[in-house]
Amino acid sequence: MNKRLLIANRSEIAIRIIRSAHKLGLTAVVLQSDKEPDALYLQYADEIIEARDANNEKPIFLDAERIVQLALENHIDLIHPGYGFLSENPDFAALCEKNGLNFVGPSPELIRNMGIKTIAKKMAIEAGLPLVPGSDGAIANAQVAQEIAKKIGYPVLLKASAGGGGRGMRIVEKPETMERNFKSAFDEATAAFGNGDLFIEKYLENPKHLEFQILGDKFGNVIHLGERECSLQRKHQKLMEEAPSASISSKVRNKMGKMAVKFAKSIGYFSAGTIEYILDEDGTFYFMEMNTRIQVEHPVTEMVTGIDLLDWQIKIALGEKLTLKQSNIKTTGWAIECRVNTEDPQNRFSPQTGFIEKIRFPQGNHVRIETGVQNGSVVTPYFDSMIAKIIVRGNNRQDAIDKTLEALKDFSLVGLKTTVPFCRTVLQDPEFISARYTTRWVTQFFKPVMLEHPDDELIGALAATIIYATEYLQIVSDAPASRNENLNVWVLNKRINK
Amino acid sequence: MGTSYVYRRDASRLFIAMRENGKRFKIYLPKETLPVIDNVEQDINFIEQSDYQYLFEWKGKRYNCELVSRDQNKSTVKVNGVEYKFSLESLFSYVRHGMIDKDGKQLNENNITSPMPGKIVDIFLAEGDLVNEGEPILSLEAMKMQNEITATCNGVIGKIHVVAGQSVMKDDLLIEVTSIDV
Repeated sequence: MNKRLLIANRSEIAIRIIRSAHKLGLTAVVLQSDKEPDALYLQYADEIIEARDANNEKPIFLDAERIVQLALENHIDLIHPGYGFLSENPDFAALCEKNGLNFVGPSPELIRNMGIKTIAKKMAIEAGLPLVPGSDGAIANAQVAQEIAKKIGYPVLLKASAGGGGRGMRIVEKPETMERNFKSAFDEATAAFGNGDLFIEKYLENPKHLEFQILGDKFGNVIHLGERECSLQRKHQKLMEEAPSASISSKVRNKMGKMAVKFAKSIGYFSAGTIEYILDEDGTFYFMEMNTRIQVEHPVTEMVTGIDLLDWQIKIALGEKLTLKQSNIKTTGWAIECRVNTEDPQNRFSPQTGFIEKIRFPQGNHVRIETGVQNGSVVTPYFDSMIAKIIVRGNNRQDAIDKTLEALKDFSLVGLKTTVPFCRTVLQDPEFISARYTTRWVTQFFKPVMLEHPDDELIGALAATIIYATEYLQIVSDAPASRNENLNVWVLNKRINK
Repeated sequence: MGTSYVYRRDASRLFIAMRENGKRFKIYLPKETLPVIDNVEQDINFIEQSDYQYLFEWKGKRYNCELVSRDQNKSTVKVNGVEYKFSLESLFSYVRHGMIDKDGKQLNENNITSPMPGKIVDIFLAEGDLVNEGEPILSLEAMKMQNEITATCNGVIGKIHVVAGQSVMKDDLLIEVTSIDV
């Protein structure tokens, strides 16, 4: 009998996991949340479990106990957590393990260690990875923070040990503001993670974010699949990613990759994982953290290596040996991913919720679409705003940029605003084209007016005029004109002449 | 010859779309030909229209437009995912609000006066008509020769002070023209 894989996630990643499950002959089971009972991913699954979470405080995807209970009731063999939600929650992984469910990911212990940044950093130091200068562990109070900051130099960054997503994070420019920032970061971290521990490190002014994809099996074999550059971020949320990165030489790439593998091996890592580095302007790189899940941006790596990361992640969980050798890994071409978030880049990226009346994606051999929505889908406030990803492969970086831009022109969505115009702007920006862009690009360079295009503006003026004129001409005309008659002459005329 | 002119008499089809930043578009929607934007006829195809949605084709590219909001003469239109706000005026309200030719001097310069003594043979346009720069407005007979008097700007015909057959003296005001060239 087929093994049964439960996907404890939703949207595009659920569909992505289903695809791999089917390839590997697994029965794909999903959870149906009352918060989005008509979601697209449900249509792809072999079986749907009704979670009945309407009256619950949290959606099913965050309810570890309930997921495990439903999994047991439905004779599930494996649980894939996807990304976000419980994917990096060691208690959930432990609960799965305890109940004889195969958690698709590393061990609970590895998740826990990598999740606590002070522990992860200690392990990284032991493996010989360079770290951004800072405190060895959690700091007791603002006074200690000031002492360390004096040593490493301002500006410094206060970071929550248990943090992520920018919460519990503060940049401190001078000693006078340390106390205030320390307190607010501590409070924020306590509220968000139930753990107010903070550490301190040197703040890099113009850093780049690079990360190495790792695959390791349960027999100690570990390889890396090259890097991704994810420097294009807003408030620590990635918006666009590319693979490989134009910011490092092949010598540095080898060094970073080898270190990543060495680190993963030293901690006995298995499953798919990501080693994140921060790259300073002078080319110095430092270990930042390790992510123990499959990442949103994994497709860019797949596009340039030709290796299916999801397949391997599941196969490794099933106890298969990693047959890929480091020497098998060759990257060809260049891939760019654009996240389609229902956020308004003209208005501080404020989230948009509502109906997707009509959505159209680009097509083509070099274009890959991962979407969790279709025409008529609803974007609710319950979940995050990413509805799709557009991934494009080119022969080289410039070719990838050109093709991505071309592909984005074929994207349209009626009903909500998205980050696609933002991605178009980035792809035409000299800082991005020259690969000089850093994680500060949005705050340093981006202005909403950059989203505008004179041709779009002219067409907009025409459309607005047609709408206005339709009514105006009805008023001024003596004849009892039918709706749009006055203007449809032009429309009809153009149709006939086509 | 007349066919090369973009404006076809009907001034009620000329509109001004103005953005918040002050940028203006002068848009003329003739009945049977292409739209004229800032005096230039644009080869814009109107592909499809459904509720508040418009699909255009121009320069080989498609443009998706969506009417986002509408409040009297103000419209927000989303084009390729980006919103643009416009306030709209008909030519007449635009002129009435004094937004064109605030300067009386410029107004006078565009009026048609008689270049020589003679007789009006014919007037080709009527009050309220749009006229193109260089387009004949009337024919004046002087010294057995018929002269066509042409407009010095793109504009709209105001008051016509003469009729066909009337004799005029040099520098007589014949026709008032309000420029639409901003």
